[in-house]
Amino acid sequence: MIRTFFSRSSRIFLILFFAMGVAACDINAVPRNDEEVKAAWSEVLNQYQRRADLVPNLVETVAGYARQEKETLTAVIEARSRATQVQLPPDILTNPESFRQFQQSQAALGGALARLMVVVEKYPELKSNQNFLSLQSQLEGTENRITIARRDYILSVQKYNTELRTIPGRWVAGVLYPEAEVKQTFDISGEAKEAPKVKF
Amino acid sequence: MRSIRDRRTAAWAIRSAALLLCVIHIVAGLPASAAEPKFPQLTGRVVDEAALLSVPVRDRITGWLAAFERASKRQLVVVTVKDLQGYPIEDFGYRLGRVWGIGEKDKNTGVILLVAPNERAVRIEVGYGLEGELTDAISRAIIERNILPAFRQGNYEQGVINGTAAILKVLGWDGETPGAVVPAPESQQELSPLSLLILIILFVIFRFGRHGIFSGRHGGGVWGARSRGGFSGGGGSFGGGGASGRW
Repeated sequence: MIRTFFSRSSRIFLILFFAMGVAACDINAVPRNDEEVKAAWSEVLNQYQRRADLVPNLVETVAGYARQEKETLTAVIEARSRATQVQLPPDILTNPESFRQFQQSQAALGGALARLMVVVEKYPELKSNQNFLSLQSQLEGTENRITIARRDYILSVQKYNTELRTIPGRWVAGVLYPEAEVKQTFDISGEAKEAPKVKF
Repeated sequence: MRSIRDRRTAAWAIRSAALLLCVIHIVAGLPASAAEPKFPQLTGRVVDEAALLSVPVRDRITGWLAAFERASKRQLVVVTVKDLQGYPIEDFGYRLGRVWGIGEKDKNTGVILLVAPNERAVRIEVGYGLEGELTDAISRAIIERNILPAFRQGNYEQGVINGTAAILKVLGWDGETPGAVVPAPESQQELSPLSLLILIILFVIFRFGRHGIFSGRHGGGVWGARSRGGFSGGGGSFGGGGASGRW
């Protein structure tokens, strides 16, 4: 009698403990973090797109005042078309090679634009043009948004990858989400070469 | 007999260990937040850490901002800081906005006018939801035309007043309308006992809200307008909209 009571209560305890353990493990952490990463990535793409959309207008305005800067202007146009032509494969976030390509093409456009903004310093008339000032502030704002979107993306990937690579998230993912893969994140190695050079 | 109990003990031990791991995971696995600057306390709609504003000016601006929030549910906060702690003002601004959660939650309708006199930098930080109205170009124009001329002459009060009024105007609220600035205090006397009771209950909820139960979702609401201490952010977020200027 006493033994059956003991075994039943201990069984209940075991089940309770197990349930608490599972609850504490948070079996939804992987898909939830995955969604966060996707949202952050969309914002990155969104802001890069916004920058690409600004370029034609900007180039046109600058060309009106500084036609002799043809080389710099052409470099911007080419970098833009390369950046927008990159086909994003569906596995871009888990494929290091295509992620690096994407990062490089965007960095090239960023570099070309930065050079353009250095060049325009020579044209006071352009710099007082209302349209140009408006475009310049939009470009600055967009670059700022890109920085923040990238930082948010990096943080979300860090969270996701940590969940995927540490115990117990690793066990949970192994059983429930075998398709989950560590995601790529931004680094400066692909971009450092593209930093604008100022010539005097 | 013995072996059954041993097995049971072993199972117990394994499950306890698993549970312990999970608990440890939860406690230790919280992502260490990236290095953040130290932000001033959100003590009201005007946080004048750098002491640029006189009390009457601060109260006047606070009155505008409170009326603006009542009219539109949007939040504008004016902040002056002593020190950007080495961060670019763009970086400081959006982090401050996120930490304070200025603007309505989900709509992200918050704006911060941030002045850093020691770095000679000013920024209008615009929440996601207002980027379409208060665009980067308009923010830049406000800074160049309404704020910087006064700042260059060392007249910070005038610059802040002009800038705040211009932002409010762009967002569809005319801060100079005297009728709108002063909320009619008489209306309080018309309250029926029932609505007074409801207000008291709401007040209690707001007080708790500041301690985290509703985590500031209710914003300053009605009460933030009347008592400076009751103001808090609505949970809005920022993504780098706006513009900066230097003088």
